[in-house]
Amino acid sequence: MREFMHHITNAFYGATGWNDDNTYKELNATARELIDFPVPRGLRLTLSSLATPHFATSYQLGSVGIVDGSISYLHSTVPLTDIAAQSDRIPLPALLRSYRRLHDLGSRESSQRQPGKDGTTTEPPSHGSVSAACWSLGKNGSSLLYGRLYLPQSLLEGLVVRRFTPALQVQLSAVSERSLRNGGTLLGLVQYDKGKYGVEGLASTDGGLLGIRGLYNFGGDCSSAAMPPASITNSAQNNGNVQLGGERERIYGRFSAGGEVYYGTLNKSGGMSLGARFATLPAHRGTPLTATLTINPLMGNINATYAVLAKDYCSLATRMEFNVYSYESEWAVGMELWSNRRPAGFLLGALPSNQPERDPEPPRRNERSFQAKMEWRLDDPKPEPKAPKTEATLAATENMEEYRGVLKARLDQNLRVGLLWEGRVKSLIFSLGTGVDLRKLGEPFRSLGLEVQYSS
Amino acid sequence: MAFNFNWSPLTADAGFYKRARDLLTTALNKSPKPPIIVDDIIVTEFNLGSVPPDLEILEIGDLAEDRFRGIFKMCYSGDAFLTLKTRVQANPLNTYLSAKPSFTSPQPLAAASSLTIPLQITLSEIKLSAFIILVFSKQKGLTIVFRNDPLESLKVSSTFDSIQFVRDYLQRTIEGKLRDLMMDELPAIIHRLSLQLWCPDQIVKEDEEPKEADEHGVNPLATPPQDPVDLHGHVLDPAAISELSLDGGPEAQLLFSQKTLLRLSDITNAQVTSSLDTSAPKDVLFRAWAGPDKVDATNTPPLSTPNLVRSSSYASAHTYTFSDGGSQDHGSLPSRPSMVHLNSATAGLSLGAGRHSKAGRKKKTRVVNLRRKAETEVNSEQGDESSEIASTAPPMSEPVMPHPILEVPEEEPVSSRVRFSRSSDLQQPRRSSMREPSKNTDVPIPSVPINGIAPASQPTVQSSEKQAITSPAPIADAIPTDSKAEWRRSRPMSDTSSVILEQAWIMKMAGEIARRVYDEKNRNPSFWDDRDDAPPPAYEAR
Repeated sequence: MREFMHHITNAFYGATGWNDDNTYKELNATARELIDFPVPRGLRLTLSSLATPHFATSYQLGSVGIVDGSISYLHSTVPLTDIAAQSDRIPLPALLRSYRRLHDLGSRESSQRQPGKDGTTTEPPSHGSVSAACWSLGKNGSSLLYGRLYLPQSLLEGLVVRRFTPALQVQLSAVSERSLRNGGTLLGLVQYDKGKYGVEGLASTDGGLLGIRGLYNFGGDCSSAAMPPASITNSAQNNGNVQLGGERERIYGRFSAGGEVYYGTLNKSGGMSLGARFATLPAHRGTPLTATLTINPLMGNINATYAVLAKDYCSLATRMEFNVYSYESEWAVGMELWSNRRPAGFLLGALPSNQPERDPEPPRRNERSFQAKMEWRLDDPKPEPKAPKTEATLAATENMEEYRGVLKARLDQNLRVGLLWEGRVKSLIFSLGTGVDLRKLGEPFRSLGLEVQYSS
Repeated sequence: MAFNFNWSPLTADAGFYKRARDLLTTALNKSPKPPIIVDDIIVTEFNLGSVPPDLEILEIGDLAEDRFRGIFKMCYSGDAFLTLKTRVQANPLNTYLSAKPSFTSPQPLAAASSLTIPLQITLSEIKLSAFIILVFSKQKGLTIVFRNDPLESLKVSSTFDSIQFVRDYLQRTIEGKLRDLMMDELPAIIHRLSLQLWCPDQIVKEDEEPKEADEHGVNPLATPPQDPVDLHGHVLDPAAISELSLDGGPEAQLLFSQKTLLRLSDITNAQVTSSLDTSAPKDVLFRAWAGPDKVDATNTPPLSTPNLVRSSSYASAHTYTFSDGGSQDHGSLPSRPSMVHLNSATAGLSLGAGRHSKAGRKKKTRVVNLRRKAETEVNSEQGDESSEIASTAPPMSEPVMPHPILEVPEEEPVSSRVRFSRSSDLQQPRRSSMREPSKNTDVPIPSVPINGIAPASQPTVQSSEKQAITSPAPIADAIPTDSKAEWRRSRPMSDTSSVILEQAWIMKMAGEIARRVYDEKNRNPSFWDDRDDAPPPAYEAR
């Protein structure tokens, strides 16, 4: 589960029109979140509130043997009016969905794109309009201040995000704790996002680490400059228009390649890696998929991931790692399964596919997909299918709004299983997780945790 | 008496190496490892080699069936080796990130991917040279302290020998770690192991020790001293004792205040257990501060009694000086010559007390069998050669002074009390004598303790002789008297009775000589005092 403050920060990015995914750091975010999702430990309660559109607070109380907690505050100069912050209204996929669809690169002009496919109904509209409004309103840019104090260990976290120009954003994060060397660390991050490419430079006081990383997008929607900003309707029309011609060769996906270099000026050590990704565009009609390959030439590490949104309610991911120097290899698989049964998912057993509730739904969907297929085959563009299609998507989003729970699972080569069940009960969002070691069947449960979040 | 140190049986035991390897492996993996080490540290090979260490006995401070204390010099340059195996993280960025808070982590995508490398480290050609102080008692277990840094050199070879930088780093780090281990942790480990072996109940009791320490504050004058004697070695009758302790009055109470006694017992216990922290009482002048020219360390007889010397002026009643009586012999003190005579003439028995005077009759052979060096048998005479032994001792920073427990058979916890009852023996005659000479002569104070020594060491002999006839005065109520008597009897009985008699006679003669010399000195003070220089600064009352 993404924390409330994380959600609000994402909302801030959305409101200011910043594409947080267009960095090299997030290259394999989909597979990482599908496989390496954090499993809660102990009991953790979070009370959060977006008190005003500018100000949010969050209090957390946890107990893993000892009781600890944290207080956090967030202030944004951009009003976050459209954000659903109440835990009974907050769209679950925004908090829980792992599979990340690609954002449109030219999203600053385009205001409309695939509403609510991933449930983030509020964000996409805000992307263009709000940011445009924001930029028209204040020239001095928007900023976000965030602070968090962990109480017994008196650890202080601070984050400042400031947009200078639409393409330039600076992040400053700091941690202060007694046990750290020099009492704390500071990390500065300069992000430059031009849509087609994004470059980040970073500097850390810890070890004097300097780094630069960049991501370059090509292919798909970026390759042809003549192509209008991608949208479902456009691509559908394109589909229909030039089907057998050049459109046959069009790839409904985007390639990204990037690299990172780090050097610690104080400890004279460094590191680097190269990576590439292929991800289908939202316009793609088939199964959305994301494949990445990262290589660390210094350490001889090769890492390949493959994630697929098999159905709307099911995504899968695999990861393979191999080291050419030490011949060590690793694999892991992850799965995410959504359900809209009443008590937060799976308690009543049946999978969403054979649910009576959804019975009115599938025919339409079938019809829609069938029509799409028909469209695919037939040359003539029909104006009629569009109306039912949008209806269908709306219905689908409504349906998705009803998702009440998600089950996440992972398995790695050490036969360690992580299970996480997240969902909503009344107006509480909960997350129940456990780690199981299949090698030690005598005492299989390595950890158990429950997280409950309430926000208003 | 013979010491047998066998090197080969240790290695001949088939299960020994396996056991030792397991022990080392668990010991190495107990503490949290640095992030660079990603796997367990496994001891794959361990061999003590075939070359035994050279062990040289510098001094035996105390020897009994249940106690031993000695100083050894150990040199080792054998073929022992140790091989460790583990896996290390080769990516510096990975280890860098592991210790940092995640909030400010730069979150590299794949630059921090791990690369683990198996690492094998072999430690060989270990050269050790150490002075070891070994204290063993059945009650307190075995304590080993290295007086110096034992590690001379060491060869570290690893998988990365071809890389100069890594090799140097490993060599440096491992040497440092090993030094720490030898100096700090090894004594503790050995002590704990020995406690488990000999007195498992002691481990549980360790927290109760402070309670025992409280008892040290008992006024020694409250209980009459054992075998009380006066300055000349004559046995005092109980009435005189009571008089003494009474006229000690508040002064004595001041002298033996609870706090002072606690501190004194701390100091003496610090030497018994070789504990590294010695409490520092206030207003104390140590002889070592007097300057190097006054102290001739190589000549220091180790068998000497630390004396509680009270400074001349009662005004500064809290100024004590700790000095070992023997080492005062070569000082520039006025009455020294007489003592030197005494020491040499009476074959050191005035200091050596019963055991050594007994040993002085016979030549005893001390065999240290270290298998290969069988020919290096250390033949040493025992009686008056205490200074000989001492001369082999290298000059150390502190004078080695076994303390009066040597003569007192009691266990450690009560020993300090008994010692104080003894030192009260010293005090009482001293004070009485002090008035006498101080009237006619201006005898500086340091002469006093020396006079005190000779008679004071006699009563133990006399009492051991007397024991057959009269039962000893039971003063130490913490100890069952019969066990003490048994102990006292056991040593004389082991020898022939003629030896006892001879010994007793010698003791008596020595006492007589000492007394005559003293009387002579008192009668003719100018003769003794003409060499009277200023007392060394350490003894000047401030």
